[in-house]
Amino acid sequence: MLKHCLQLPMLALMWGMLCTAAQGLTVWDDRQQPVVLAKPAQRIVSLLPSLTETVCALGQCAKLVGVDRYSNWPESVRSLPRMGGGIDPNIESIVAQKPDLVLLAGSARGIERLQSLGITVLSLEPRTHADVQRVLRTLASSLGLSQAEAEQVWRTVDAGVQAAVQSLSAQARLQRVYLEVSPAPYGASESSFIGETLLRMGVRNILPAAMGPFPQINPEWVVRAQPDVILAGDSSRQSLLQRPGWSQLRAVQQDRVCVFSQDQADVVMRAGPRMAEGARWIAQCLNRTARGVP
Amino acid sequence: MSMAIQACALTVALGGRTVLHNIELRITPGRWTCVVGPNGAGKSTLLKALAGLLPVTGEVFWLGQPLANLSRQQRALQMAWLGQGESAALDLRVFDVVMLGRLPHQGWLTAPSTQDHAMVEAALKATQAWAWCDRTLGELSGGERQRVLLARVLAGHAPLLLMDEPLANLDPPHQVDWLEQVHCLRSVGTTVVSVLHEIGMALHADDIIVMREGQVIHHGGAMDAVTHQAIEAVFERRIRIVPLQGQWVVLPRI
Amino acid sequence: MDRSVPEPDRQGGAMKPRWRVLRWSLALLLLGLLGVLGGTAVGSQGVQAWWLGSPDPVVHQIIWDIRLPRSLGAWLGGALLGLAGAIAQGLFRNPLADPYLLGSASGASLGVSLYVSLLGGSVMALGWWPRLGMTGAAFAGAVLAVMLTLFLARGVQQTLRLLLAGVVVGVVLGALASLVALMSPQVMQTMQGFLLGSTAFIGWSACGLMALALGVCLCGSWALSRVLDALTLGESTALSLGVPLPQARLLLVGMLSLATGAVVAQMGLVAFVGLAAPHAVRSVVRCTHSGVLLLSALTGAALLLMADVLARSLTAPLEMPVGVLTAVLGGAYLLWRMNRLAGGRS
Repeated sequence: MLKHCLQLPMLALMWGMLCTAAQGLTVWDDRQQPVVLAKPAQRIVSLLPSLTETVCALGQCAKLVGVDRYSNWPESVRSLPRMGGGIDPNIESIVAQKPDLVLLAGSARGIERLQSLGITVLSLEPRTHADVQRVLRTLASSLGLSQAEAEQVWRTVDAGVQAAVQSLSAQARLQRVYLEVSPAPYGASESSFIGETLLRMGVRNILPAAMGPFPQINPEWVVRAQPDVILAGDSSRQSLLQRPGWSQLRAVQQDRVCVFSQDQADVVMRAGPRMAEGARWIAQCLNRTARGVP
Repeated sequence: MSMAIQACALTVALGGRTVLHNIELRITPGRWTCVVGPNGAGKSTLLKALAGLLPVTGEVFWLGQPLANLSRQQRALQMAWLGQGESAALDLRVFDVVMLGRLPHQGWLTAPSTQDHAMVEAALKATQAWAWCDRTLGELSGGERQRVLLARVLAGHAPLLLMDEPLANLDPPHQVDWLEQVHCLRSVGTTVVSVLHEIGMALHADDIIVMREGQVIHHGGAMDAVTHQAIEAVFERRIRIVPLQGQWVVLPRI
Repeated sequence: MDRSVPEPDRQGGAMKPRWRVLRWSLALLLLGLLGVLGGTAVGSQGVQAWWLGSPDPVVHQIIWDIRLPRSLGAWLGGALLGLAGAIAQGLFRNPLADPYLLGSASGASLGVSLYVSLLGGSVMALGWWPRLGMTGAAFAGAVLAVMLTLFLARGVQQTLRLLLAGVVVGVVLGALASLVALMSPQVMQTMQGFLLGSTAFIGWSACGLMALALGVCLCGSWALSRVLDALTLGESTALSLGVPLPQARLLLVGMLSLATGAVVAQMGLVAFVGLAAPHAVRSVVRCTHSGVLLLSALTGAALLLMADVLARSLTAPLEMPVGVLTAVLGGAYLLWRMNRLAGGRS
């Protein structure tokens, strides 16, 4: 009899504790600092395109009230008010939207300013494949979704990447690749996000990991390394052939150069949920150049 | 009677080079002494050393007191300095420039007193510069600027006046004005030491110091024949000093 | 030659300049007040007459917590820059001297680029570094640069050596900052934003810091204004007037660095305000440094405030970096003065 009398209050207490636990969400940002949310975020401002895409990939696009000027996918995001760039956010516009969560990269200015105005800030910047998974999980928690949903999205993405990897022909895998990110020239090495995709595909990158993720390389290096394939963004197309010695490159002469349009480049370079699509384009390009068809 | 300025074993080295070698000097108070010599003799350096504006080896005494014992303000009260070609202050008003001469007499943050105002006005009137007291230095010609700077020196009412090339840019009437001023100052007991390269003007002084290559060749009365011979010798006998109407004039020896 | 003493063309004396200074100070303060009011009305939502009342608490927060500290911060920052410029021009007796002469700007840039690159690099950054914040890093960089300049110049004895050391330190640290930015390209955009200057991140605490720095520097430099006056006659003359030159110079350099460091840490690099404000003052008012210092501060404040309001309103809701506008405004003014100089004095 006493046991039954005590059971009810105990259950009530446990239920109360669970409720309060569910009320206060704690997520961890890139710097391993805890960020506490009173309840799942309902109005989100995102200042990094990859984070915008992640929120939409989790099906929570409707919760976005503002994005940065570089976010352009999906289409619905383009009609949202712009809050400046990732590096120079417009504090006033952000505050005017009354967000309960602001997502931005660690290198953005204004984190302290926003926090001093009482806004919850979550600093995330995915740079590796593992980061994308972690960011999916973190954002799912902050949006009040279960980890299972995040895992499902990740599995889809990962499967897509794996499919792209397997679609590579044997000849394509033998190629040595140079991927150019911007016309300075900045290249993507093995330690970068795209480099990781290339590693998974089993192709060799002429830029080793020791150079840092996006080294500014001497164009001579590429000439000496003689890559089999060159992948570049649209902005590099003009300057590619004008560099001394580059018109004699084997890859250029055999026309094994893939140029990505601005939209395609966005997908390939962003460490977000569209990385499967990016991997597919890279794989298509590598297959094409292996066959020797321009 | 203690000397106005006394230098003992004064040696000055600038940039590794010895400019003044072991100078021994005694300047009598209440007289006007002129330092003459060829270019590079070290005249300006000597004057700066005597003014305590350069690091020196040896001793300098003012009115019997070693320079090192005097505080900065005591030194400023006793000596007024007019440098050569130093000014860059084109935006300051004439009145304010001359008021700077009263700086040693003023407290740290106190406003100028009526006495300061009176001294500034007197100094400006003495150099015929009172009409421009509200103009900036930049609006004046070279000669006018020099007169204002002279007024600054006079406003301080220091017993010791050291002037390096005070006649720069001055036209003859104002050179004569300056001459009369120095005579006036001397008559009230001020000691004046000046570096001049106008030998004709220098010959109006009481004493002349003749320098060459960092050493004092001769120090004697401006009227003495020995002094005149020393001057002629130091200028390689290219000039002659002759009497004319009660004064001494310099003529080229052609 | 007429030997009578002509009376001065105007009533001479020290009374007049004091009144002139007072009048101009009041006028500039009024301009500043209007500017701050104007600044609170302009923003990303366009021009709003907020004094007509609005029940929305977010608008209230925007006005009080964002626009007011920004405008006030612009005023304070401009005052610090104008004051620093007047001190630099008096101390180095050079009309081209500006607050960044002792390398403080390059030091701040290096601090910021190191901070951002280390932060963006590893997650496990050195414990206290992230907490320092970008403002702290910028201030630390500025202070270190000035200390390096003083060390290289072996004290403040010689003005020329100080100037040269400042230029060397500025160039070398600037190059190092660029190197750091090149090695981690994600830093470059941040650096660009920093280099162009912005009041966007100024809050109330930043305003408080700048107000404190302004108070200290204004009082200190005003106390030393006679030293600056004496310096205009040359170093030997200043020494002969009994001015404690080495100590005064050290204090003035200290105040110059404090003022510059405080501004650069909060706002980034804002050009021309420190250079143009003292020039403008001296061309209009004739007074000694005690007046020039105060008026330069007030003029610089008004200048930067105007530029900030324009930067926010010209391309609303986008914002121009305020450094671009100060360069245009200040540069145009200096160009105009150059023209007058060339035409007038022939």
